[in-house]
Amino acid sequence: MPVSRDDVLDVIAEESLVERSALTPDATLESLGIQSLDIISIVFALEDKFGIVLEQSEFEGVTTVDQLLDVIVNKANAAGSDASGAGAAAKT
Amino acid sequence: MTARVAVTGLGCVSALGQTVTSNWSRLKAGESGIRTLALVHPDIERMAMNGPAAKMDGLDTSAVDAYAGRKVTAQLDPVAAYAVVATHEALADSGLIDDKAALADASIIYGGASGGNTTIEESYVRILVKGHSGVHPLTIPKRMSSAAVSHLSMIFGVKGLAFAIASACSSSAHAIAEAAHMVRAGRTKVAIAGGADATLTFGAWHGWLALQAMAPDTCRPFSIDRKGMVLGEGAATVVLEDLDHAKARGATVYGEVIGVGASSDAGHLTAPSAEGAGRAVRGAYADAGIAHDTPALVSAHGTGTPLNDKTETEVMRGVLGGDLARHRVIATKAAHGHLLGAGGAIEFLLGLVALKEGVAPPILNYLGPDPECDLPITLGASEPFEAEALVSNSFAFGGLNSVLIATRG
Repeated sequence: MPVSRDDVLDVIAEESLVERSALTPDATLESLGIQSLDIISIVFALEDKFGIVLEQSEFEGVTTVDQLLDVIVNKANAAGSDASGAGAAAKT
Repeated sequence: MTARVAVTGLGCVSALGQTVTSNWSRLKAGESGIRTLALVHPDIERMAMNGPAAKMDGLDTSAVDAYAGRKVTAQLDPVAAYAVVATHEALADSGLIDDKAALADASIIYGGASGGNTTIEESYVRILVKGHSGVHPLTIPKRMSSAAVSHLSMIFGVKGLAFAIASACSSSAHAIAEAAHMVRAGRTKVAIAGGADATLTFGAWHGWLALQAMAPDTCRPFSIDRKGMVLGEGAATVVLEDLDHAKARGATVYGEVIGVGASSDAGHLTAPSAEGAGRAVRGAYADAGIAHDTPALVSAHGTGTPLNDKTETEVMRGVLGGDLARHRVIATKAAHGHLLGAGGAIEFLLGLVALKEGVAPPILNYLGPDPECDLPITLGASEPFEAEALVSNSFAFGGLNSVLIATRG
């Protein structure tokens, strides 16, 4: 299942407790108060929701909302069936 | 000269609701928060929770959110969330919540039987069930037994001595007792005391099932055919304060802690001992310096297990003898369930409100008298009962006993 930027923005807003409307592409994570622990909570929620597995090292150098979305959406859609396969296997 | 210990703030969260007003009004009306749970674990189909429980649903953190920020409450394990909501209410009630200097000098002694169960279980599910390779970095700080205390200190700016007490179902009674001793000794002017527990989780549920302590029907304290306890969850906080300090600032005084008694059975891990519990009751009376015939409202441990209620009756009859007829025994677990580490505090708190109002709330779900539980109780509906003292019993697994005695403010 392809993951859209909107899907990811919903998760970011929910996990980091930032208003959805404040998540503009150029906004920096620092200005939004999104810290490394928030990114981990976002990643965990994405794992549960979409079966995407992300490593913390993949977020090195990410400073804006747009960059964060790029990393997550690219990984999710590149992994494609792999991601959903991992999710299904974990349920057994 | 020792300081007198006033109770100047109350707050609680249970299946009866959040706020003292909702808990007390429902208790007084003879209502119960116990209902039948039928839940299946979202990630483990064969793991279920079926049976009666007093579950707290829909905790409203908005007051704390407004005080400390939404981000603070969102990261809490339920046990800490209950603690901060109850404590916010108690501090607001005491009039100290905006007194930053008094709070900075205050102390916290807070009980809990088992820490962050939800966090512990989520971490296992991530690895063992979902197949992920790691757990959240906050797993340890959220699950530790003192997590609630640390959050209370951070949120309310309390910078004095702060620590957790663990003594199973006596935890929060011990916490209130030790906090009272601190105020008496002049070590603190204000002490935040109480306890929280949130063990209505799938893993903890199965632990209690295996112990065969839970009732299949409901909680029936001191009744014939009682079959066990019913788990609850929540928190209760009292603000204890040097009486002179409270008077000087014109605070409302709900009552005064005049006696505490504690003992250990040195006996059995789960079976109660009348001898051990009796020493705690005697100790509390001796410390309070009141006669056994002083009319008292006794807020019983009253779990509804066959053995506890029989033993507690033996204890109260043994210590008070013929004077027991002048007292009234209430048992509120049938209304809010067994709050474990928060049980002693919520039963003390509701007992204090009952004492102040001169009302004995009814013992619920009573099927008939048990000759081994012959106590002066109220059934059916609340009754007026004018007492001079509250005696609040907590007799925990592992034989750790704490008894609190208070008078009206």
